[in-house]
Amino acid sequence: MKFEFNGYAGRILEIDLTQGKVERTSLDWDLASKYIGGKGFAAKYLYDHLPQGCDPFGPENLLIFATGPLTGTLAPGSGRCIVSTKSPATGYWLDANCGGFFGPEMKMAGLDALIIRGKAPSPVMLLVDDKEVHLRDASDLWRKDTLSTHQWIKKQLGEEFRVACIGEAGEKRVRFANIISEARAFGRGGAGAVMGSKNLKAIAIRGHHPITIANPEYFMTICREAFNEMAIHPDSGGGRQKYGTNTILSCMNEAGVHPVRNFQKGIFQGRSAVNEEGIQEFYIRNKACYGCPIYCSKISEVREGKYKGAFVEGPEYENVWSFGAQCENTDIPAIIHAEYLCDLYGLDAISTGNVIGFLMECMEKEVLEERDLGFPLRFGDDEGIIRMIHLIGQREESAFLWGEGVKRIAKEIGKGSESFAIHVKGLEMPAYDPRGSTGIALAYATSDRGACHLRSWPIGAELLSADERIDPFSIEFKAEFVKSQQDLFTVINSSVTCLFTIFSLSLRHMVQFLHSVTGIESFSSPEEVLGIGERTNNLVRLFNLREGLTMKEDSLPIRFLTEPLKEGPCRGRVVDLETMLKEYYFVRGWDEEGRPKLETLKKLGLIEKER
Amino acid sequence: MIKPVPSLCTGCRICEMVCSLAHEGSIAPKRSRIRIHSDWPEEEKILICVACEPRKCIEVCPEGALSWDGYLRIDEEKCTGCLLCREACPYAGIHTETSKKFPFFCDTCQGEFQCIKWCPTKAVVKVG
Repeated sequence: MKFEFNGYAGRILEIDLTQGKVERTSLDWDLASKYIGGKGFAAKYLYDHLPQGCDPFGPENLLIFATGPLTGTLAPGSGRCIVSTKSPATGYWLDANCGGFFGPEMKMAGLDALIIRGKAPSPVMLLVDDKEVHLRDASDLWRKDTLSTHQWIKKQLGEEFRVACIGEAGEKRVRFANIISEARAFGRGGAGAVMGSKNLKAIAIRGHHPITIANPEYFMTICREAFNEMAIHPDSGGGRQKYGTNTILSCMNEAGVHPVRNFQKGIFQGRSAVNEEGIQEFYIRNKACYGCPIYCSKISEVREGKYKGAFVEGPEYENVWSFGAQCENTDIPAIIHAEYLCDLYGLDAISTGNVIGFLMECMEKEVLEERDLGFPLRFGDDEGIIRMIHLIGQREESAFLWGEGVKRIAKEIGKGSESFAIHVKGLEMPAYDPRGSTGIALAYATSDRGACHLRSWPIGAELLSADERIDPFSIEFKAEFVKSQQDLFTVINSSVTCLFTIFSLSLRHMVQFLHSVTGIESFSSPEEVLGIGERTNNLVRLFNLREGLTMKEDSLPIRFLTEPLKEGPCRGRVVDLETMLKEYYFVRGWDEEGRPKLETLKKLGLIEKER
Repeated sequence: MIKPVPSLCTGCRICEMVCSLAHEGSIAPKRSRIRIHSDWPEEEKILICVACEPRKCIEVCPEGALSWDGYLRIDEEKCTGCLLCREACPYAGIHTETSKKFPFFCDTCQGEFQCIKWCPTKAVVKVG
């Protein structure tokens, strides 16, 4: 069958940093129609090519940047692409998703995927200017923060270049280092540390290729309809435009699921100040990623006081939590400054706040002493938070351990600290207490990259939807809900558009976009498209099983299973995970130990991947 | 004509996409006649022909290739691609791209102004 690459660029670039070799291959039809792009591509490629048991920091690990057929198009929220690798935080699968402008530029430079292997002998940057591809010495850039790196590259090469780079945290292999593109991040799981381990400081891309659309008139019509629907929807056209992601702050706090003091409580008393209205006072303008009518990004600036001068695209809900309630800090300028520093060092702000809150609890419980950290770190200490971020970001030898993440820190220091190290599979937990949401409990336990709210976000349906069947305390329907939402989110992460569009749009829209952009006939079927999400999720599961995952790790920290919350609507609650997990394995077509059954693999066309 | 309101621009580039779809039939932001310039953390700038007067672009063209008839027009027979017009434009509203021989600029989409129709924040509006 002839394959005209509508929506796709048609080309994959492979770079071997050890040998300095560049290879171009064509995108093949089978890969596109079976996996769409983005996460799907990466799953197929990592499964087929990553040596089992490889060291995430070894040269054999792969770092894959991938766009999807909707990246860069008029489909709402199309500014996204993914990076995928074996995570140094979990030792399992990682895909991290970034908005902004890097993905569209990759597509316009003619790339569906950029696959990086090996390790450069000295720091380099990768330059892609349409068909020209070079590796350049980046010794001058090493140790530069992410903003200076962007500014240096744009000054040298031109303002049109889009950049993805690491900061000091990535260079020093902090296990929760991000890759930063302008003010946005490929967040969670340590892709920045993998990039650092390869001596790759930055990627700069510019492209002039047009993106062709199979059926442009129809595509424009359905995009117009989608834009209209989004403009009047209370989420995409309301709260999210006004407050950004902080639109849910009060709601989560009132539901008693906004974790405080390293998940010891679920209601933040400081919320009279740290709520969406309080944060909004620091917003100076709206910002959107490429192709997005929601503009949920807010630029915030601190104009006075000791944190004067800090500015961020944010702070986002998760980070308002991680440097706010998690550390029991009510100082909003400190939160903004903390996120600003995380961006400059290239640190994941969710994990960083988790580590700091965890260390605060260690101090509180006298598991750690002042001399271990070099200073007294207490809950509520805003200056302590800032000091810790510098220590983690610069990662001098004496502070090495803090860059390892809570799982490894707890293992190292012991003394019972494992019982309050809040992570799943080694990835620190986001801003929702699973004791108040059975859905998010199951979502965290079964997410492919560890504790994550972006593989499935059932708490949204539980707390914000009018559907009364979805009760936050009931375990009914949760297995089915999480499974189908995970498959839908994987479709979005393969297309690649923004998850935030799906709260006002639906699978129907995704199918219309994919079909009219690519012209691929099978993309006109919702069952087929959702099936691609399921196929990819099963392939990722096979990858994780091959890397040694067992059902023991599809779990939650012991705190949520045995320590009831003491106040608020979730008072007295712990999580009954076992029942939900059994149901989840069943609806996934997995055996009792969480391994895809042969018949499931057969149904999904993965049979050649038999265990 | 078009009036840009940069304070409302979020930098989403939807205008660039619909402009290139209307003129090129594909998504090619760098061939758009309206361009958004941003350099994080700077604010966005909207670069488009605003039909200013006097029209320096027409004045400086040594070949007489530019004229005005409701919008700026180019005689590609006469244009040598010297780009003096681009340099003279106080609004940076005249654009070029590597694959294009001649400069290009807003032609109002036959008065339909696709960018105005699609801009989610009304950061470009019609005046006059």
